[in-house]
Order: sequence, then structure tokens, then C-alpha cells
Amino acid sequence: MPTTKELKRTPLYDFHRKHGKMVEFAGYEMPIWYTSTLEEHMAVRNHAGIFDVSHMGRVEVTGPGAGAFVEMLVPTSITKHPDGKSVYTLLLNSRAGIIDDLIVLKMAQDRYHLVINAASRSKDLKHMEENGGGPRFTMTDVTEATTMIAVQGPSAIGSLQPLTPLPLAEMKRFTHSTSTVKGIRTVITRTGYTGEDGFELIVFDAGSGAMVIWEALARSATPCALGARDSLRLEAGLPLYGSDMDEDTNPLEADLGWVVSKDKQSYIGSQPLASIAAQGPRRIRRGIVMDDKIPRRDFKVTSANGAEIGVITSGTFSPVLKHGIAMGYVKTPAPQLGEEVEVVVRDAPSTGRISKFPFYDDSVYGWKRKQHQQ
Amino acid sequence: MSSPTQYQVPDGLLYTREHEWALVTGGTAKVGITDYAAKTLNDIVYLTLPSVGQDVKQLASFGTVESIKAVSELYSPFSGKVTATNQRLLEHPELINKSPYGEGWIVELDASKLDDERKTLMSPKQYRDFLATLEAGH
Repeated sequence: MPTTKELKRTPLYDFHRKHGKMVEFAGYEMPIWYTSTLEEHMAVRNHAGIFDVSHMGRVEVTGPGAGAFVEMLVPTSITKHPDGKSVYTLLLNSRAGIIDDLIVLKMAQDRYHLVINAASRSKDLKHMEENGGGPRFTMTDVTEATTMIAVQGPSAIGSLQPLTPLPLAEMKRFTHSTSTVKGIRTVITRTGYTGEDGFELIVFDAGSGAMVIWEALARSATPCALGARDSLRLEAGLPLYGSDMDEDTNPLEADLGWVVSKDKQSYIGSQPLASIAAQGPRRIRRGIVMDDKIPRRDFKVTSANGAEIGVITSGTFSPVLKHGIAMGYVKTPAPQLGEEVEVVVRDAPSTGRISKFPFYDDSVYGWKRKQHQQ
Repeated sequence: MSSPTQYQVPDGLLYTREHEWALVTGGTAKVGITDYAAKTLNDIVYLTLPSVGQDVKQLASFGTVESIKAVSELYSPFSGKVTATNQRLLEHPELINKSPYGEGWIVELDASKLDDERKTLMSPKQYRDFLATLEAGH
């Protein structure tokens, strides 16, 4: 276990150290909360929150062969999109197992920016280097040269717009643009990991400029840390790599079949994925909402009559629903939406039901909510 | 990092290594978790309580206290029979964070082996020293 001296720090460390409860995460010293996960979570659902996500990896791939290289790595069509498209996708291994989930920003035909998980960064880079094979593109890890900040919530536009000339309300979800924030060059992408409207900023500054941006945002948005990041994504039904999927999980099991572009033929893992698609996955990721008790990772899932059908991979208490919620894997054919299941909590079965994603009513919470943005 | 003096450790209570406190009045013990435990969990959102009439053993688990992220077992400072549980906590678990030694009390017990068992618990000073060793470990 590294001492605190060996842990990496993001450019915003001084703020976290001063205001947050610090923990180790993916080799970084990061805050788990500033005030409380509950408060931070509801700040994002009701107004706006900001997250330091600089620990995530950022890799640029440039050159005439960049597009073909990126297309080979993922099951989702990338190059056919116009410049400015942001794509959620997966890095697959040769067995169609998921190496990581990521966002690919197609900045130009010969320029791509990949945002990858912090804990997967070195293995993703290794995978990319091993499968590269061409002189017609260059890979540059820009993680340490940049800062990444997420601004999430119904008031995200209100919080960020004063700091940038880019007309944020005009941006479609899953698009990005290069602009400035507080005068500093920033790629702004309308994406996020909370289920809410929001933006992720890739700031081309890893020093005091980034801190100026963070502190300016903190005047109108609530600083939020790792605890809230996890409870928000779970409530939104978004999987966490390492918990809800790993290299032995294929995209169909993970309920991410929509990521697989039907018109794509050859990419790493395409053959085994086609076989899996033909047979159908043997288990599948589903959401469970509890009547009582909080489901936790590794708790067993049974059918209403007690037969074991699966396991929980992520569980928490939902601040919005005020019930325990979880995602996990169940054998196919899977129980239907609304069907009762039991989760074994400390040796006793506790009743829950299969739930849709997101767990909350998306006419009330989330980016689809029925109200004007502030 | 926070120092042990940041955590309230009231006099007049006995403490366990698992961060429960006990207030002994005659043969009864009122039990809760310490300020240190409450701050470590932070937002307490859920708890499971024993039933009134249930027998408990010293240092055996009698329930749980949960935050969004974590589950913490509750260990009884004394053997005995549960005579009361703080039902308000089921609707307002955050009372434990707000007032861990007051409104956030968790159970009351009839302690069956009070005199023997109280010798195995920590005094306020011993618990403060114990917290200091935990903090030094960080």
C-alpha cells in the first residue's frame, strides 16, 4: 500500500486537501467527500456539482492512420461521425471481453481524444501499443498535461456559461467543441457520469490556471467527490468498470449491446462477439430496487422461490428513492422488469424487484427531466 | 489529517474498541456509537436494530449502521437483554451523526454481567489514547 508520499496528485490537490476527506483511489490521493456524499449527490440532482476527474487517462491519437487504428480498437463506429462527436464505447480483447469503457472524441479525421478510466490507464495504453502496428499515427498520453473537471446537474449551463464564450445550450449531448474557459484552451464535451445534463472540461493547463477555473466554478456549483460520483452513476444505471464489468464480461452480458455498431465488421473481438450474439448471452446485467435493506457487492440474488440466479456487483442507498439499489448479473432468461427477486443480506433473503435504468423517474430527475434548465 | 481532539469523547461513559459507548445507570446500559465512528461513516442512511427482548452477548453483533458506501456492524458493550431501541432512527438515521451521544442513542440493555464486563471496557481517557494510536497509524 503506497504511503501518501507515493500517491499521485491532480492539479487540484491543494483544494481537496484543504476541504475534503482524502483516500487512495487508482494510485491518486483523492477526496471521498467534502461535506457529505448525501449532500453532494443531491446538489447534483437539484442544482450543479463539480468533480475533479483529472485522474482519468487522456490519450490523443493523431495522424492519417489514427481513424483506422481507433476503429479497430472498438465495436462502435467512430470515423463516420462528423467532427465534434463524442462516443461512449468499449475496448475489447480478442475474446470480446471488456478491457475498459471510454469516451472517444472525434476531433477531426486525423485526431482523436480518448478518455479512459484511471485504474485502467496503463493496461489500456499497453493494449493500444501492442495492437498499433503502424507508423501512420502517433499516440500521446496527455493526462499529466491537462486537468479534467466535470460540471453536472440541471444548473450546469448556468454555472459554466459565464466562464466560456461557447454557447452551451446549443451543444447537443455527446458532442464536443474546443473553446476556452477563463481564457484557457479547453475541450468541452456534453457528456457525464451522473445521468444529469452536464459537461466535462479537458483543460489544457495542469497548474494554477486549472485551479482558477475550479474555484470560479465552486462559486456557483457544489464541489463533489468520489462518494457522490459513485452513488450518482449507480442511481443513473451506469456501470463502473472493475465492479460491474471486467475482462471476462462481454458487451452483451453487460447490457451494452447498443454500443456494438451493426455495420462494423472487423475490430478486435468482432468474431467471438458475433458468436455470442448468435447464441445470446448466458447472463445479463440488471438493476434491482429493494423494499428494505441495502444490497452490497457479492450478495447473492435468488428468484422469489429461493433458487440462486445471480450476484450483486454494485449496491448502494439511493438518496432519491430512499431505498437500497443495486446492479448485478442474473442468469438468462432474466426476470422481467418489476418481477420480484430476493437478495441475500447477511444470511437472510430480502425482497427486491427488477428495475429499469435509471432508477429514478426520468421525467423528474436526469437530463430528460420536464423542466426548463436554469 | 484530523487530530483525536477533534472527536468528542464525553466523560462518564465506557467505550469499546469497536467504537460503541455505554452509559451505565444502575443495572441498565444505554448504547450508541461514538463521534469518531459517526464521522468515519459520515452520512448514516440506514440501520438495522435488534428486537426488544432479544438477548445479546458482549462484543457480539446486534445490528448494523450503514452509510451510502459502507456497512458497519454494531457490537454490544455488555451481555444482556434489549429493553428499548431508538425507533426514531429508522426514519432519521442522521440523528446519529448530529447527536451520537444524545438523540442518536441506539439501544438500551438490562446488563446481566455488568460488574465483570465493565472492567473490560475503556475509560474515556483510554479511548482517547486509543483514538490517538489510530490517527497516528494514518
